Amino acid sequence: MTDVSVPASASAPDLTPSRPVYDGKLGELYAIYFRHLALMVLTVGWSRFWGRTRLRRYLWSHFAVLGDRFEYRGRGLELMTGFVLVLLMLGVWGGLLWVFWEYVLHERSIPGLGLIDLFTYSLFFLGIPLAFVGHYAGLRYKMTRTRWRGIRCDLGGSAWGYGFKATFLHLANGLCGQLLTPLMSVLLAQPRIGNASLGTQRFEFAGRAGDIYGRFVGYYFLNILAWIIAISIGVGAVVWGGKTLDIGEKELADFFTHITPRSILLLIGFAFALYILFGVMILPLRCWWQAYLWRYLVSRARAGQVLFASALSTRQMWGFLVLNYMIVMLTLGLGWPWVAHRTARLIAGQLWLYGAPDGGSIRQPPSRPPRFGEGLLDMFDVSGI
Amino acid sequence: MAGQIRYYDGVTAAALDVTVRPSSLELVISRAGSPDVMARWPIGEIAILGDSEHEAVPPLARGDERLMVEDAELRRQIALAVPQLAKFGAPKPSPAGRVAVFGTSFAALLALFWVGIDFGSELAAPLVPYRLQARLGDSVMTELVAGHPLCTNKSGLAAINGLANRLARAADYDHPVKVTIIRGGPVNAFTLPGGQLLFYSDLIDKARDGNEVAGVLAHEIGHAVHYHSMKGLARQYGLDQLLRLITGGYSDLGTVGAGGGLLLALSNGRNFERDADATGVSLLEKLGLRADGMADFFADLQKAQPRDAASQLGIWSTHPPTAERIAATKRPPTGKPAFSDEEWAALKAVCAPARENSPVPERVPQKPLATVPTLPQAKEPPGLPPPGKR
Repeated sequence: MTDVSVPASASAPDLTPSRPVYDGKLGELYAIYFRHLALMVLTVGWSRFWGRTRLRRYLWSHFAVLGDRFEYRGRGLELMTGFVLVLLMLGVWGGLLWVFWEYVLHERSIPGLGLIDLFTYSLFFLGIPLAFVGHYAGLRYKMTRTRWRGIRCDLGGSAWGYGFKATFLHLANGLCGQLLTPLMSVLLAQPRIGNASLGTQRFEFAGRAGDIYGRFVGYYFLNILAWIIAISIGVGAVVWGGKTLDIGEKELADFFTHITPRSILLLIGFAFALYILFGVMILPLRCWWQAYLWRYLVSRARAGQVLFASALSTRQMWGFLVLNYMIVMLTLGLGWPWVAHRTARLIAGQLWLYGAPDGGSIRQPPSRPPRFGEGLLDMFDVSGI
Repeated sequence: MAGQIRYYDGVTAAALDVTVRPSSLELVISRAGSPDVMARWPIGEIAILGDSEHEAVPPLARGDERLMVEDAELRRQIALAVPQLAKFGAPKPSPAGRVAVFGTSFAALLALFWVGIDFGSELAAPLVPYRLQARLGDSVMTELVAGHPLCTNKSGLAAINGLANRLARAADYDHPVKVTIIRGGPVNAFTLPGGQLLFYSDLIDKARDGNEVAGVLAHEIGHAVHYHSMKGLARQYGLDQLLRLITGGYSDLGTVGAGGGLLLALSNGRNFERDADATGVSLLEKLGLRADGMADFFADLQKAQPRDAASQLGIWSTHPPTAERIAATKRPPTGKPAFSDEEWAALKAVCAPARENSPVPERVPQKPLATVPTLPQAKEPPGLPPPGKR
């Protein structure tokens, strides 16, 4: 099913380029999605584990590399068990907090702080690292349920280690005004790529933050400049518009509190203007950086003799980051299959593989896959598909 | 059968092009272009992984081994030759019909769910065991009064509780109603689940006469007998669930949905207030009491705050505009006074003597209680002029 193949010379290593092929159809994806949504309403959401599994089976099996399709062999019951286990863990945590509240804090209660508040705050602070742990554990679950040529994929490493590393790096990056972004991106890509494997064939990642700092610093200061210009234009437009249209405080208050067809139209116009302003000035810049980062991360990954590359452009990244977001938001979620379909086609079109694996030397992975999956991801983060 | 059949041995990632000879007992697998048999799969050990709806090519599997038959016609022929593998030959169903069926089902179920929330909460709220409602009301009341001094004069409390229970009985409400009064402001009153009412003494202090307090009390009884707080909670919960179902928990979409949900909740809240106003007035009339106090009270509010907050907030308001409420509750000054002179005097003095039973004297910041209907719109005391000046 490869759509490009160029014969390699006998002496050079085989670096025949190929791309993955995605042959899914939007209508078929929508049929599965609508069924999933209908069952979600009927079961008050409990069918989501099975619905997600069906969608993954469709997407995975319509993706092929070197002519061989992927398989997804996860089960809805595994996802539900993972979710219930995390619910139980939260129950135990709530119980421990109650004991702490009742027997330790009881006499020294803090005014305005109730048991429920304590539970909520603890979840908020625990939730951030746990979301990262969940991301990694969820990735591991998906990898271990994925097969290519009958061989199971795997993801080693510790999800907890990744969670704490990611929390620390995000915190440090925030404190440093996002200047650590290249370092963080490379350090977090390392375990996600370097611990992945197809059977016994490990992936490798050889990225270095120093390679991409130059581009990032350029993006960083251009971004600040773009914000200053965009805010100046925005404020100028509002002040000029207010004076020209003679809109006072009362009219503004009425505008937001008494919705009329005119105010809806004006709001849509305002949102569109805002979108144009940010769409033209801020987002392309961000997409420029993100596309560059994606190309870099892909080009520094390899699996044995197979090398990877991507030619993802800024415009394509804009379609992925911005347009997809708009589609989901404007369709109130009903555009999700369209977004998944677009993304799959983008990956198939922009990911290049050079060379082919030596299939005979790749065997099933020695480690056992996790029995349940994604509970933490479901609980603390948007898990999507 | 040959062509477009791939075999994976389940041990290595080698992919081989093969031919397959099906019989009723086994599948015989040979390397493409070679007569040598590579593997024999007894039919009883073969599994079809997935189906043609979800898989591009449902793999045939024997343990970790796989056979991938890309050609739909070949799959059909294998299925014809081996009845146990009949499902393997099923053609891919057409998506258009399924999109129409499932899309319509989803829309219909969504509408049904919505109707269920709307009507279900009406029906279900009174059926919630009273014990549970009372416990919920107690826990909220405990939170609300925490750190506030209570008014405990027995005669004053007896006066207001006596009228409250008469009004509730007139509405065939089968449970006792209890009024608690917090010393101070704002000029406000709440109804909690389980027939628990909370008044602030500033409301009593600033009322022109007992009929105004009776009007407010009747309004709150209206909330109680219609189980508005329970209905509000049920609708809020239902809406939250509906949003989760549609958005799949996608957080940004959830935020947009939550905004819509809030507007709906506020719209429900305004309808609850209209219901409570109408019920309150009709209960007073049913008992032959003066029913003009409620409109008078609203008129006082309007005088104290000419820029009516409810009007200004529009769709974001928890209450209908005050002018609309005055017009809806306007009644002639006929009927018996709701409180006797002695009862009204006792109620006016409800906070006066009994400080000994008050809990902790210091105040703590109040928690907003969005799900419980309240009578006046403004959070700040509207600053009614003292009764003597009117």
